[in-house]
Amino acid sequence: MTLPGEKVDAVIVGSGASGSAIAAKLAVGGKKVIILEAGPERDNQSLISSAIWARRLKWSGEPVIEEGENRVGHVFNAGFGVGGSAMHHYAVWPRLHGEDFQVRTLYDQALDWPLRYDDLQPYYDQVQRESGVAGDAEQEIWRPPGEPYPMLPVPLFAQGEIIARGFEKQGMHTAPLPLAVTTSQYNGRAVCIWDGWCDAGCPIGALANPVTTDLPIAKRHGAVLQANATVSRILTNDTGEYVTGVEFVDESGKTSRIMAELVVLAAFTVQNPRLLLASATDKHRSGLANSSGKVGSYVMSHPAALVYGLFDEKTHCYLGAFGGQLLNQDSYGKTTHAGTGAFGSYQWMIAQAVKPNDLLGIATTRADLFGDDLHVFMKQAAHGFASMTAVIEDLPVAENAVTLSDQKDRFGVPLARVTHTTHAESKLLWQAALEEGQAIFKAAGARKVWIGPQGSMHIMGGTIMGADSANSVCNDYGQTHDISNLLIAGAGLFPTSGGVNPMFTIHALAARTSEYLLKNWNSVIR
Amino acid sequence: MQQSRRTFIRNSGIGLLGFTVGGCEVKLTPEDARQQKIPFQVLSPDEVRTLEALGESLLPGSAAAGLAHFIDHQLAASPRDQLLMIKYLGVSPPFSPFYSTGLAALNNSANDQHGADYADLTREQSAALVGQMAQANPQGWSGPAAPFFYFVLRNDAVDVVYGTKEGFERLDIPYMAHIEPPGRWGE
Repeated sequence: MTLPGEKVDAVIVGSGASGSAIAAKLAVGGKKVIILEAGPERDNQSLISSAIWARRLKWSGEPVIEEGENRVGHVFNAGFGVGGSAMHHYAVWPRLHGEDFQVRTLYDQALDWPLRYDDLQPYYDQVQRESGVAGDAEQEIWRPPGEPYPMLPVPLFAQGEIIARGFEKQGMHTAPLPLAVTTSQYNGRAVCIWDGWCDAGCPIGALANPVTTDLPIAKRHGAVLQANATVSRILTNDTGEYVTGVEFVDESGKTSRIMAELVVLAAFTVQNPRLLLASATDKHRSGLANSSGKVGSYVMSHPAALVYGLFDEKTHCYLGAFGGQLLNQDSYGKTTHAGTGAFGSYQWMIAQAVKPNDLLGIATTRADLFGDDLHVFMKQAAHGFASMTAVIEDLPVAENAVTLSDQKDRFGVPLARVTHTTHAESKLLWQAALEEGQAIFKAAGARKVWIGPQGSMHIMGGTIMGADSANSVCNDYGQTHDISNLLIAGAGLFPTSGGVNPMFTIHALAARTSEYLLKNWNSVIR
Repeated sequence: MQQSRRTFIRNSGIGLLGFTVGGCEVKLTPEDARQQKIPFQVLSPDEVRTLEALGESLLPGSAAAGLAHFIDHQLAASPRDQLLMIKYLGVSPPFSPFYSTGLAALNNSANDQHGADYADLTREQSAALVGQMAQANPQGWSGPAAPFFYFVLRNDAVDVVYGTKEGFERLDIPYMAHIEPPGRWGE
């Protein structure tokens, strides 16, 4: 056990997808690693199959103040405890497309990434081999180049067959949804039984979350994970040129320090900029790594377009994966809806397994019903309900940002304030998707079709990567422009959101960064 | 049966609701707790009465399913352990003021419109008032936004009625648990 005060090679703040992935790679590479997790310990045996119990996996740390017209839904999207938000993620792992990396260059909109799809493709391929992704690359006609999936796709249940009929009638294509879920035994992991409890955490290891995949590797190679350790400050040397470690508060309230050659912030999109801003010194008066003034800026959250239907046929909507069974990316082209004022990409996640209760449950889709009418609806919908969700690109806006509040937490650290209002063109794209989705459900034969309010899926940006240190925080490896041994990991690096779920890209970036760190260790740390 | 105190116990890292009944610590579902008239920790008797009446309007059967004990138990827990859906609806803990001011507002509106507390309204009167809540603040309302209060309480009622194995059975759909909940909803 590494003791506070003992110097390690790397301290990683956060045990979610990116932190765990980097910890595993660095530990395998021989580095001495400690991971500090603000939330409690979790193992697979604590993952109870219940939409109510699953709420333990959502953010329960210090409050985050949300403002703006379209709030990011921090508590719902973030995670709490070992494994972070990956413990309740739906394991939908599509790749970003080539054009997502060059939105500014190609369309004079938004921002460019400092790398291209070709730079990331080998790491997508590597990660899908390591973590296991099920899909059908040939059927996924929109998919950018890459190795075929290592597992056969998710099986199709009645709900998927019924909705696919609507897509077909509209002249649209569907393909199996790429899922980081086992359809066959994979690296000793059990096979999914398609019970739809993905977001309650997957205790059988069928879903690729950090507790199943990366953390066991990290621990086997000596990495130490300390839960209930809330990092309160990033430490620098006297000149402010380097970071030297972090200060954290343990469960008893005791403050300690871990000194490290390298600090990786992997504490999710909101807490990373909060920590940078709250760690200001006389050498970094506006916060660490903030010479650009962009720490906190360009927070994005995919607007979710929710389409529901009731069918006379039995949909078996309780079967499958929470993320869905099928994918459609016919509208991924950025200018597909030109003329409507909309810009950007989106995809449909089709035929999601659903439970009766909770925010995404059946009952919530008809929030207008109560009393006996609600009982009647529930009994009908339990057998004839169907749904699909479009993941809408959220164009980056500098004013959508994480800033520090005047309020402080129990450790004296200012709380994060997140302001987010969806870009007008993204909003129009959301509306276009809803119209398309309703037409598809009608074509599929739904006897009733309705939509939900705009949801917020995923949180990205806030510590974006870029080629120019004047208007971005990190380089293409997540290394901050200002401080070479301070890195950011996770979706906070994204300069644009694309129209796909971020987790696969988070892993690909983490794999690329890990390789870079191991090859360039000495130059990074000094 | 004598009830003396109520406490949280921990079992395998899972927060279980324990009651000391007749000197012995037992685990009870909120439904059982209601039947055994286990004392409330946070909610007042008047709040319980209003809450159960509202629950019956929102989803009949929710009072008997232990809606009030469920909410009371969760409000008594530390913010980290609370399992109410309100935790991810943009309200910072503690959540007790949200519930108490909302229930008070409901009674104020009921008195303003009908000269009686909500629990004393007729079925038609209470349904009409809930219908108003779903749309906007009813006349006489002063508290959290009524449509939001409606949304939150309605979801609490759905949790206790349909978010359990028994609820799935009522809908004739399989529960298919990997790991069974230790109680029906976090007790």
